[in-house]
Amino acid sequence: MTELVGRSVARVDGRAKVTGAAIYAADQPVPDALHGVLVMSTVARGEVLRIDASAALAHPGVVAVLTHRDLPKLVVPHFPYVKRFIPMQGTAVHHVGQPVAIVLATTLEQAQEGAALVSVDYRAEKPSVVIDDAREPAFLPQPFRDRPNEIRRGDAASALREAPVRLEARYSSATRHHNPIEPHTTTARWDGDRVTLFESAQGVLVTRTVVATAFGLPPESVRVVAPYLGGGFGAKGPGWPHTLLTAAAARVARRPVRLVLSRAQMYTSAGHRAEYRQHLRIGATREGRLTAIAETSTAQLTATEDSVFNRSDSTIGLYTCPNLHVRHEGVRLDVASSSYMRSPETTSHFGLETALDELSWQLSIDPLELRRRNHAEFNQETGERLTSKRLLECYAMAAERFGWARRQPRTGATKDGDEYVGWGMATETHTFAAMPSTASVTVGVDGKALAQLATQDIGTGTYTVVTQIVADALGLPLRDVQAQIGDSALPPAGLSAASATIPSISGSVDQAARAARDAVVALAVADRHSPLFGAAPAEIETRDGRLVHLRDRHRHDTYRAVVGRAGEPVRRTATVLNQGGHTYGVVFLEARVHARFGSVRVTRVVTAHDLGRVMNRRTARGQVLGGVTWGIGHALMEHTVFDRNTGRVVNPNLSTYLVPVNADAPPEVETLFVDKPDPASTAMGARGFGETPITGVPAAIGNAIYHATGRRLRDLPITQDKLL
Amino acid sequence: MAESTGAARPTRRTVLKTAAVTAGGAALAPRTAVAAGAGEVAAGPGETAVVTLSVNGKRRAVEVEPRVTLLDALRERLGLTGTKKGCDRGECGACTVLVDGERVKSCLTLAVMRQGSEITTIEGLAQGERLHPVQEAFIRHDAFQCGGCTSGQIMSAVACIDEGHAGSDQEIREWMSGNLCRCACYQNIVAAVADAAKGARS
Ligand code: FES
Ligand code: FES
Repeated sequence: MTELVGRSVARVDGRAKVTGAAIYAADQPVPDALHGVLVMSTVARGEVLRIDASAALAHPGVVAVLTHRDLPKLVVPHFPYVKRFIPMQGTAVHHVGQPVAIVLATTLEQAQEGAALVSVDYRAEKPSVVIDDAREPAFLPQPFRDRPNEIRRGDAASALREAPVRLEARYSSATRHHNPIEPHTTTARWDGDRVTLFESAQGVLVTRTVVATAFGLPPESVRVVAPYLGGGFGAKGPGWPHTLLTAAAARVARRPVRLVLSRAQMYTSAGHRAEYRQHLRIGATREGRLTAIAETSTAQLTATEDSVFNRSDSTIGLYTCPNLHVRHEGVRLDVASSSYMRSPETTSHFGLETALDELSWQLSIDPLELRRRNHAEFNQETGERLTSKRLLECYAMAAERFGWARRQPRTGATKDGDEYVGWGMATETHTFAAMPSTASVTVGVDGKALAQLATQDIGTGTYTVVTQIVADALGLPLRDVQAQIGDSALPPAGLSAASATIPSISGSVDQAARAARDAVVALAVADRHSPLFGAAPAEIETRDGRLVHLRDRHRHDTYRAVVGRAGEPVRRTATVLNQGGHTYGVVFLEARVHARFGSVRVTRVVTAHDLGRVMNRRTARGQVLGGVTWGIGHALMEHTVFDRNTGRVVNPNLSTYLVPVNADAPPEVETLFVDKPDPASTAMGARGFGETPITGVPAAIGNAIYHATGRRLRDLPITQDKLL
Repeated sequence: MAESTGAARPTRRTVLKTAAVTAGGAALAPRTAVAAGAGEVAAGPGETAVVTLSVNGKRRAVEVEPRVTLLDALRERLGLTGTKKGCDRGECGACTVLVDGERVKSCLTLAVMRQGSEITTIEGLAQGERLHPVQEAFIRHDAFQCGGCTSGQIMSAVACIDEGHAGSDQEIREWMSGNLCRCACYQNIVAAVADAAKGARS
């Protein structure tokens, strides 16, 4: 019996968020906390020679200025802490914006002023900060997270030589920053050898592991609390130095310390999408069937680590192609570590989906038809049949709604006023993960249920979906169910990253709730005071908070009465494992290019996705709306600019690093879903979804611009100047 | 723990003001100056003034240095953390509040400048349990995800409607563009504002 799961249920955390009552990490009142502000390196490569804190210390309210000399020695944590060093443990400087001191003061203003008064002398060397300036040639890094950076299938070189049709192109994209609206923040409070962190974290448990490792503490000595998060997009998934440094400073100062990164500091503190180059060679038959793909990408790495975050998963497996050779290469640069940023696979997917568009023009085959011809029914690496992939249905639904059949197969064919109008499409796909998750559900003596698990809601709707699942399983109204998440003290569960939340937690929450229901039913039928006494549990239906005998509906009881009589809450816990996989979809869109100004507007968008069962239509649609607009930012505006001489970020703010504003978003986005449960998913038939919508958007925009103007742009973002 | 070097200029060594720290939080006694009247404010580093702010219909005295922004006065001194800080430099709109009915980015104005003004924050919008129509519309239209921008969006929307800038979707898109939403719920924000504006007109 399903009533709420799948429906467009309004967010249960809505009231807290529209009244300002939701407590985010920096809102948490912590008495006696000092304010901490980081002093960041202004050179990209070299060494700290001298730190003069006298002026800062003379400033009223400044309590301490801590440097590498003051902090305890910390252990560098393993993944997900991606930076392979901790700043302020020595004098070496590896990038601009590396913390070199932390100022503690009574008020925020005093700490900020104090930080500005710290003067630091450096020995500086000339840095290389962009791929063009790399000191060494690109190399193939070691496998990252057990996945190799070179993938071969068949014989791509020979197949390319023999291919009747060939395409070769180079694609590239600039560095991007996540820029969640809520800045990263940590408040650390020690109590002996135990520490509590109010943290802007996408995963309370991974943050706990990172902090415990760094301080050599058992995990239970660290508690991480993050009930609400003001956006993460990957930036708040891994652990970062500011968290460790705040905890260390609080330990030294013996007072709680609160630290909030400034917007500018966020450009060197918490990862980014790395600068990226891609060289693609494709071989095909005259009918457009792919016979070979050879791809070498080059990513920005750093002097201290060589993790490739933007893998070419779609090149490797989205389409049928017998011969493949992919290399993820990189160059070491003097910049801060990159990391995962919403839909990391978008980075390479732009090249693949643009190349397919180019091939379609070369062969005069409709781009949608070209993709259909190369549709993969089998996993390209294992050969297994992909039983629940419904990409072809997505193509059909969205093409029909968009009116793709009316597309003019010529460039520059449509002009409306001052604007050229073009249509573009691209397949969307992303990998999702599933992480072991335990959930507990408690029915209290008041008949209300509480679900508890240490997962997160980063805006994606976890609170709401958990509440829906529990309400359905128990037969309780939504208002009688509460979800408690975002605290490492709760049952261990996966974090909100890698599109993993729903596929990781849904099965566990459902099973725990069903077990709790069955336990209450068992109590009722064994209770002489219950009208249901002696009934067979299978004959009891639960609905609206009531337990009703199916054949004799006069016999009924309530959760509140049954558990109330028992006198103690009923709690059940469950762990249901699931597997990761891929989620698919498609985006069709219309773009308009101003004939004289080169400005681009995305005016109409239709998407269709297959995410297995849709748990909540409105939160799923929210992910698509967000993804489409992120795709517009990625394609048309976002780029972080480095000064090549100093290594400094030139635009570390929101007025020169442009993100889409309301007027940039397409007025209309139609979001279609196949909505059929995936039988292979133990998460009630749902698959991971958050990162799929966006992946095709940048290529679809570039393809629409080509259709509109006949100009093929392969370097992102496609800023206005490139279209003049 | 580090210690003071005792050198005349404590260079090369980082210095903790050991006394202040080990005293377990005995902060430096702030030098306080009380403003004689509205607008009269003490200056100089570390000097504070007591100003009276009228927030959500209540007059509240708050002791601040002149450099304290209205945003930090609300969040750090008055405990009104519903107003968010996204950029602290007027670019994101997360800190939007109403000052005498007009939308203002509270990170760009000083608390001492707003004595005598009527300030409304997100906490002051609902009437008891009854939400403001804009708050209701935001829930109905799913006009937020993470909520990081939401307080600012809602305050801005209230003013946008009052200003008469919510006449069409196109107008709303333009006049709500000072409030960034990184989750990008823009279509739903437009729908919520349009819906609330319709209610306000009828
Ligand atoms: S915090 Fe004031 S505009 Fe961003
Ligand atoms: S709801 Fe997340 S930034 Fe707007």
